[in-house]
Parts: sequence; structure tokens; C-alpha cells
Amino acid sequence: MFSKEEIINYADKLLIGLTDEEANMLLDEFDIIDKNIDQINEIEGLSEVEPAFMPFNLYTATLREDKVEESVDVDVALSNTKDKLGREIRVPKVVD
Amino acid sequence: MFEGIEELRKKLDSGKLKVKDLAQQAVDASKKVNSKCNAFVTIIDKPKIKENKKSILSGIPYSAKDLFSTKGILTTGSSNALKDYIPFFDATVISRLKKSGAVLTSKSACDEFGLGGTGTTCHTGIVRNPYDENREAGGSSAGSAVAVASGVVPFALGTDTGDSVRKPASFCGIVGYKPTYGLIPRYGVLPFASSLDHVGVFTRSVKDAAIVVDSIKGPDSKDMTALPKTDDLTPLLDGNVEGKRLFYIKEICDIRSYDNPSDELKKSIKLFNEIIEKAKKLGMQVIPESIDQKLLNAIQPTYQVISCAEATSNLSMYTGIIYGPRGNGSNINEMVKDYRAHGFSSLIKRRLVIGSYVLQKENQERYYLNACRVRQMIIDKFNELFTQYDGFITLASGGGAPLFDGKTEVLSNEAVLENHLAIGNFGGFPSITIPAGFINNLPIGINITGKVQDDVNVLNIAYALEKDIKFKGGLHE
Repeated sequence: MFSKEEIINYADKLLIGLTDEEANMLLDEFDIIDKNIDQINEIEGLSEVEPAFMPFNLYTATLREDKVEESVDVDVALSNTKDKLGREIRVPKVVD
Repeated sequence: MFEGIEELRKKLDSGKLKVKDLAQQAVDASKKVNSKCNAFVTIIDKPKIKENKKSILSGIPYSAKDLFSTKGILTTGSSNALKDYIPFFDATVISRLKKSGAVLTSKSACDEFGLGGTGTTCHTGIVRNPYDENREAGGSSAGSAVAVASGVVPFALGTDTGDSVRKPASFCGIVGYKPTYGLIPRYGVLPFASSLDHVGVFTRSVKDAAIVVDSIKGPDSKDMTALPKTDDLTPLLDGNVEGKRLFYIKEICDIRSYDNPSDELKKSIKLFNEIIEKAKKLGMQVIPESIDQKLLNAIQPTYQVISCAEATSNLSMYTGIIYGPRGNGSNINEMVKDYRAHGFSSLIKRRLVIGSYVLQKENQERYYLNACRVRQMIIDKFNELFTQYDGFITLASGGGAPLFDGKTEVLSNEAVLENHLAIGNFGGFPSITIPAGFINNLPIGINITGKVQDDVNVLNIAYALEKDIKFKGGLHE
């Protein structure tokens, strides 16, 4: 049902490189997930249910006070960066 | 060390034991256990000690799964993608434990970024079960479970997205408790699937689990899903369960529901029935309930779809550009692709591709949204049952820890019994596994789950059963 090209295409969209072996494993897994999804889709009355995106809704959003909070020192924030220039991260060129 | 937190507290307060010596014991034991079970990513040779005389946890050593950000201490997510990452901040729970004076002595190995249930996908190698090194410890919080079961520390932090605290607790013969969603803040915990992720704890007794959770729960301005302040759990543990009503699911825990049950499953269900009898003798009613088999069969696929979809979103932050080992390539896309090809394990890559597939516009309705609808149906069914019952009792697994079979973790059609604990994550229900006994010389746990924000009730049921089962958690040599 699924083709290897399709799977490689999905991986490419995610900027993920797959080995040949991984692509083949995924082919098998896609078949399993497609069969499994049939177990979901055969449940009666599914279309009448609102999807749950969280376990429950107990949240009340509150705005914090408009006060300056402690922030991270730039040098500390850059501590895991191997390629930096002064206070900035050196990144590859993305525009010509 | 196999003493509980209260026993250790007494020894420390009486001067029989010094904090520094206790920390050193934990470090030495970590090294010994690591040589057998490969449970840790980092063992902290000189742990930082800052006592807080007002806290019961002051001076008590612990281990944290390597998903918890620890300031100045390597935090890898058990992944090559973050193999050198040293956070400049603490996760809220680490910060709270620091304030209470608890002593972090190790970071434990887990399935990469918490995805997986076997402890076999850590970048430092597979984690082995202390009861039998040829078997899994369970996952994803494998190393934390091993640390507590082996007596390295009295408690350890884990995370639970499908059953990642409660299943390894079963396989390692200890207590694994995942409180109500949001009771413990998740700020600073590397995410897997945010709507399912919980912080949980491993201990060797129910009371210790309550003590630890009391020290780390509570609102957090940095986590909008953290719940408001609640009463402490420990003072409310009284073991009084007279008149409590529990249900179990016939389709899962009744041997007659299985056509060809294995010898192991027969023994597991026999043990479960013995526990039911104990519950009844304690004054509880235990009643079988039936749930539509189609809905039960849908638990695993629902979990697969939702968790993969959310993981795809959460793990997209790993690019190797800002931090992490930068990949090679002539442009930014090639660099990210190279970083992910080498940083992520095969399992993670496959899960992310599946997550991306189910989220594509043309597939969303059939896969992702329908899975979220089934999630709601399962939540509704359990909420309905919790209007009649105080808790749901079940086996935490269908048997003891499995042997390593040499296969990598692949999606499969496993039995409902091996996946049903995800119900607790779907609804954010408080859920605890406690040791129930042994099957073929391997520990196995039972699990109690209750309604949202009824943690005290769940703990009390577990507390009463624990006393009656008389299984002292952990591998006592």
C-alpha cells in the first residue's frame, strides 16, 4: 500500500535522513499502523465525538504582572554553542 | 541502601549517618550497579550537598532520568543528538529538590527522549534488569527503576507518557507513581508528547512516593499546565479503605477472556485474583466491569498515533544549529538532515516520520483526529466509571520482564494487557504500580488508577494493599 518513495519523501520533509534498512522497517510499520487505525475507525459513533487534545480542561490562563523578570545572561545562554562570534551564534548562510 | 526515606532521616538526624557518607554510598553503589545493569548516563562523583534542616528529604540521595534539565550537569535525553548538552538551568522539580536539600547523585539512562518501553534505545546502551541481566528493566525510565530496585537510592525521578514509570516499576519490583496530570510541573523536562507527559517517581514504598511528590508538586509560573496548590498527600495516608469500591476490567483480568492463555498469563491472573481477595478482606468491594473490546483494542493505536504526532512537533527543535553537534552540509537543510541522521536513533526517526504522516492535511482526519476522538471516548468511559467507583485495579503487565530478544523496538500488535496503562495518560488520571509478587522468580506489579485530582484516594488504596501484600520493594541481596 505504501511505497518506499513515499516514505523517503515524508522523511525528507522532516529533514531526516533514512538508511535503506530504516526505510524498509518503516514500510512494515506503516502497514501495521494502517491496520491498527482500522481498529479505531470501526468504533461506532466516532464522528459525533469532539477530539481530546488534552487530558482535561482545568486551566485558567492568567496574565502575569507587568514587571521585569530575571533573564538569562547572554554568555550563559551561549554556553552550549560551539560556533559563536561575540554575543551571537554563527550560523550557516541561508540566503544568497 | 534499602532503608526508606523516614528511616534514613532518623539515622541522619541521630548522627548515626552523615550526609556526606550517605551520598558517597549512593555514588559507590551507582558504579557497582552500572557495571552490571548500565543504568546511568552520568554518575556525579562529587555530589553537591546543601542541607535544609526543615525538609525530610535533606541529605537524601536520588537519581533523575536524563530528561530532567540539571544546571551544570550533562543532560542528554539518552540521545546522541544531545550527547554534550549541559543546561544552564534546572527543571522546576530539580530546583525544588535542591531547595529541600535532596542530593542528586546520578542521571539515569532511558529510552531515547522517553520514546520506547524497553530501555534498549539509550545512546549509552541497553539497560539490564537487576533481577535477571538477560531481561529488560522496562522503559522508558529504565535506569531510574534499576537505581531504586538495586538499593542505589531510595527514590528516583522518571517520566511517564504511556506507562514509562508504572511498567518498569512492575518489572523491577518497586513502586512507580504518576500523579494527576499537572500536579508536578514539567518545566525543564525534555518533552516527548506534551498532552500525555507526566513526571513520576520511583520508590520502594507508597509512603515514600507521597513524601517525594509532596516536595515537588504545586503551581509553577513557567508551566501553564501545572495545577493550583493542593493539600499534601503524606499526612492524609491512613490506609483506611473500608467501603471503597474498586473495579477491574473482565476483558483484561479474567482468564476466561483469553482463548489460549500462556502459563505466565495464567499465573499472573491467579496472582491478581489473590490480590483481589486481599482487597476484599480489607473491606473493599471489587467488582468486574465490561468495556467494549473494540474500545480496548483501540488503546494502543490511539497511543501510537497521538504520541508520534506530538513527538514530531516537540523534537523538531533539535536541529544541531544552535546547540548540539552540528551536521555537515553545504546548506542549512543538509546540515540539519545530517545532524538528525547521526543524532537520532533509528527508532526516533521512524516515530517522527509516522508522526509527520498522521499530521499531513490529507491524513489528519483518518489518523490523528480520529485517535483524539477515541481518546475522548476512553476518558468519558473511565470518568463515568469513576462516578461509581473509587479506583480501577489491574495488572501492570501480563508477566515479568521480557528477555532481550535481539530485535530493535518495532511497532506491533501487542495484547491489550501490555498497553492499557496508557488510559492513565489519556485522562491524566493518578495511577500507581506497587509490587504484587513473583511469577517465575520475576517481580510483577498491580496498578491502581483513580479519578483526576483524587490522588489521596489512589495512594490510600495502594498503601493499604501494600501493607497486606508484604512485598518489601527492591532487590534485597
